[in-house]
Order: sequence, then C-alpha cells, then structure tokens
Amino acid sequence: MRSICTFITVLTVLPLLCHSFSNENPTDRRLLVLLDDFSIKSSHSIFFLSLQSRGFHLDFKLSDDPKLTLQRYGQYLYDGLILFSPISDSFGGSLNLGAVLDFVDSGGDLILAADASASDLVRNIATELGVDFDEDPSAMIIDHTSYAVSETEGDHSLIASDDFIQSDVILGKTKIEAPVLFKGIAHSLNPANSLVVKVLSASPSAYSFNPNSKLSQPPSLTGSAVSLVSVVQARNNARILISGSIDMFSNRFFTSAVQKAGSTNKYKKSGNQQFVTELSKWVFHERGHLRAVNVRHHKIGENDEPAIYRIKDDLVFSVEIYEWSGKSWEPYMANDVQVEFYMMSPYVLKTLATDQKGLYYTSFKVPDVYGVFQFKVDYHRLGYTSLSLSKQIPVRPFRHNEYERFITTAFPYYGASFTTMAGFFIFSFIFLYNK
Amino acid sequence: MGRSSSTSKDALALFRSLGSAYSATPTTLKIIDLYVVYAVFTALIQVVHVAVVGSFPFNSFLSGVLSSIGTAVLAVCLRIQVNKENKEFKDLPSERAFADFVLCNLVLHLVIMNFLG
Repeated sequence: MRSICTFITVLTVLPLLCHSFSNENPTDRRLLVLLDDFSIKSSHSIFFLSLQSRGFHLDFKLSDDPKLTLQRYGQYLYDGLILFSPISDSFGGSLNLGAVLDFVDSGGDLILAADASASDLVRNIATELGVDFDEDPSAMIIDHTSYAVSETEGDHSLIASDDFIQSDVILGKTKIEAPVLFKGIAHSLNPANSLVVKVLSASPSAYSFNPNSKLSQPPSLTGSAVSLVSVVQARNNARILISGSIDMFSNRFFTSAVQKAGSTNKYKKSGNQQFVTELSKWVFHERGHLRAVNVRHHKIGENDEPAIYRIKDDLVFSVEIYEWSGKSWEPYMANDVQVEFYMMSPYVLKTLATDQKGLYYTSFKVPDVYGVFQFKVDYHRLGYTSLSLSKQIPVRPFRHNEYERFITTAFPYYGASFTTMAGFFIFSFIFLYNK
Repeated sequence: MGRSSSTSKDALALFRSLGSAYSATPTTLKIIDLYVVYAVFTALIQVVHVAVVGSFPFNSFLSGVLSSIGTAVLAVCLRIQVNKENKEFKDLPSERAFADFVLCNLVLHLVIMNFLG
C-alpha cells in the first residue's frame, strides 16, 4: 500500500521537474545571476522581482563562489545567465570565459553588464561576443549636450539617451517616452558583424574618456558610432544583451525623474524600467521566437506528398509559422515570407500568402528544367529567430508518352498530307473513268 | 516606242499561241496537269507556313512537303508515260503506267504517314 502511494506521488512529481527550456516551451525558466556582492541584489531588486514575477527562477550567487557550475553530467542547469559582476577578475568554480562561451554556443541566453571599472574578464567576454569596449580602463561615456540634468554639477557622465532602435519585437509595441539614464562605459560594434545590433545609441556629441583628466587628443570612441546597449542574436538563436552600465538596471535609475539637458520635458520616471523589462522579455525568448512546422507540398488536386515531380506540374507549398507569446504559440503574421525553388540558383521565388492562422502557402508551376531541387525558406528578420528550412525533391522530364500528341503548328502539314491523299484518290477515279 | 509596242505585241501573241496549242492537248493530260498544279500549290502553302512560323516539328514539315512534291513528281511521270506523242513510251500500255503510278503513291503515302509524327 505504502509503496504504491510513494510510487504514485513520484510519478506525479516527475513531470513538474521538467520545467525547462524545451522546443515546446522556449521561454527560459532557470537563470543564474552572478553578483560581485549581495548589495547588488538589493539595489537592483525591482529588476529581479519583475523577472521572478514573470515566472523565472533566479539563483543568486557570488561570482567567486567555488561551487559555481553551469552544467552537471553534460546537462545545463540553467537556461540563462545574468552577469552583474563587472569588477570580478575571474569566476569561481568551473566557470571561466570558455565555459560562458560554451553556454552561449549551446543556446543559453546572457545578460552582461559592465561598468566603469570593468575587469578584463568581462571585456574579453564582450569581445568574444562581437562587442568592443573602450580599451582605456578609466574611460566613461561623457556627453556634454545630452546629459541628465541634476541638482549637482556633475561631470556629465550620467547621460539621458532616447536614441532607441526601431523594432517592435525587441522593445515592445509601446513607445518609450522618457529617456533612459545611463552611466558607464561605451562600446563599438564591428561593422562586419551582422549578428550584433545597437539598441541604445549615444547622441552624436558623446565621447568616451576619463572624466578626471584633460583631453589631450581626440578620443577613439565618439558620436553615434558608440553604442550604449547592444544585443546579439547568434545563429543558434541564443540572445545576448550587453550593457555598458550596471546602474541602468538599478532601482535608483528606475525610479528617478529625468530631464535631458537642452529640453524642457521633465519626466517623473525614467524610461529605464520599461526599457529593461521589454529587453529582458526579448532576451529570454518571451517575444520574437518563431517556429516553423509542417512543411508540406503536393500537386494541386492531390493531398499526399509525391516522391518526384514532373516538369510543368502545378504544385502547392505550405508551411506553418508560429510565434511564442510567452505562454502559448500564436500564429505569426507577416507578408514577407518567401519560398525558393532552388537548384544552384533559385528558379522560382514566391512570397507566401497567409490565412492569418499561421499557415503560409503558395502555388506555382515547376520550371521547365529537370534535376534535384530544394524548397528553401530562409527567413531572417531583426529581432526574430532565423528560420532556415529546406526540403529536397527531384524533378523528372516528360516520359515519351507524356508529350502532346498533336502539335498545333504542324496542323498544316497534317492537313496537306491528308488532302494530298484525298486528291490522289479522286484524281485516280477521274483519270480512269474519263471518257 | 514602236519597238516596245511590237515586243509587247509579240509577248501577247506568244501567250496566245501557247494557250491555243495547249487547248489542243487531250483532256487526260489536262487532268494530270491540274493535279500537278494542285500538289505544287499545297507544297507552296507549307513552305510559306515554315517561313512564317518556323520549322519546329521539322519531321512533320518534311513529311508534308514530301507528300505534295512526291505525288506531283509521280503525276509528271504518269503524264510522260501516257502522252501519245512520246516515242520512247509508245509500246507501254497506259494501264501499266497508271498501275505504277498507284503503287508508287501507295508506298509514298505509307512513308509519309510514318514520318508525320
């Protein structure tokens, strides 16, 4: 009796232990937060509470905790990593630069926050991810025309920026009215890198230099080329947020009023909380995560997928694309998904129509070329996971009895031969019976 | 002035004499001539069609033209053999000539039907 009871309870508990990143439920669940010291936990409590209220399980650890580990027995214990430890030179336990990069390579998401005194470890992680912080360790981003107005005359290193990227997927549909307060270091992006994107840029008058020393030569990072907050979406769809300021996530910046120098608008609350919350929703796959299923094709009029097509067949291609809304898979609405019928180069390129329920379909005629083709859907849009689908299908030429029986341009010849025969027949009668 | 009128008068006279000489031929030969003209006319129509549209089913074109020209040639042979004024074929019965004509046409049209596609 007792063994049956324990067996049944174990059976019911087991499924509850499977709350993790899976293809059916792509939102991250378990996050590891590394801190320099636990005061950050309280000074950034609004951010962490908002994450926990959305269902994330946060594990707070000190960055030099000797029992730090990301994976056990080959399985990752966490789906996401938040590094709020800008001044740590090394991580404890089994964590190091290579372990963090392996974590991202296997699909884990990452939020990395640096600060004015960021360590080499943090700078190296950022460089590996495609973002270059200013090499001068004492430099901060300074902006004399776009700083946040405050009672004390500061060195203008606290800047208010509202130069956001235009993307509803990354920053949410609601426009962020108030500027975002930022105090920290700037970074530049390699222009050859196509995976990294500036989310918050500095104004054209910003520059990165040590605020306590005099400018003797032009600084290396200036203007709008400088990025304050960037995101990277890797090819395996891992998402990374890199911010040059850990104070941007703090309670103090979330709740303070902001006024940008040079403008008379005073906002009671800065845009930090909305900005950070929307970004974290994107980074942890609550938004913009696409899934394509059910790639199907068949001849018009039939239902099952043939193993081979013939040239000049009419076929229908369909795919279902869904977007994760945080809780469920919703149909994805777009009008620019395209399919290619490809053999060394696309012979047919068509934009798919949608039925608004996630089904994308189109129909076209197989081209007059035979060979082995592929249906290719390559969908890469800013902020969305990339879709790369391909399905191979051979195409054969006409069989010898599939050609048209009578060719229209040859009708005169058919007519001529038959009328000649008839003429011969009539002539022979006339010739014979002519008196 | 006089010369051209005389040459045009000569041309007209020539045509008239040709016409009157032709009307003296036997009816049988005239029937054969009509058949030859019909066959060549059919061939000409097909050649014009090729010039306009192109020679895509070339085998059909060849077969159609060959049928017209072939039967025209066979009819000319029949005319030569049946014409009483030809000394070489004086001893050839015209039935024999006609039988040759029919057999050759049969073979010709068999070939045409095969090649027509």
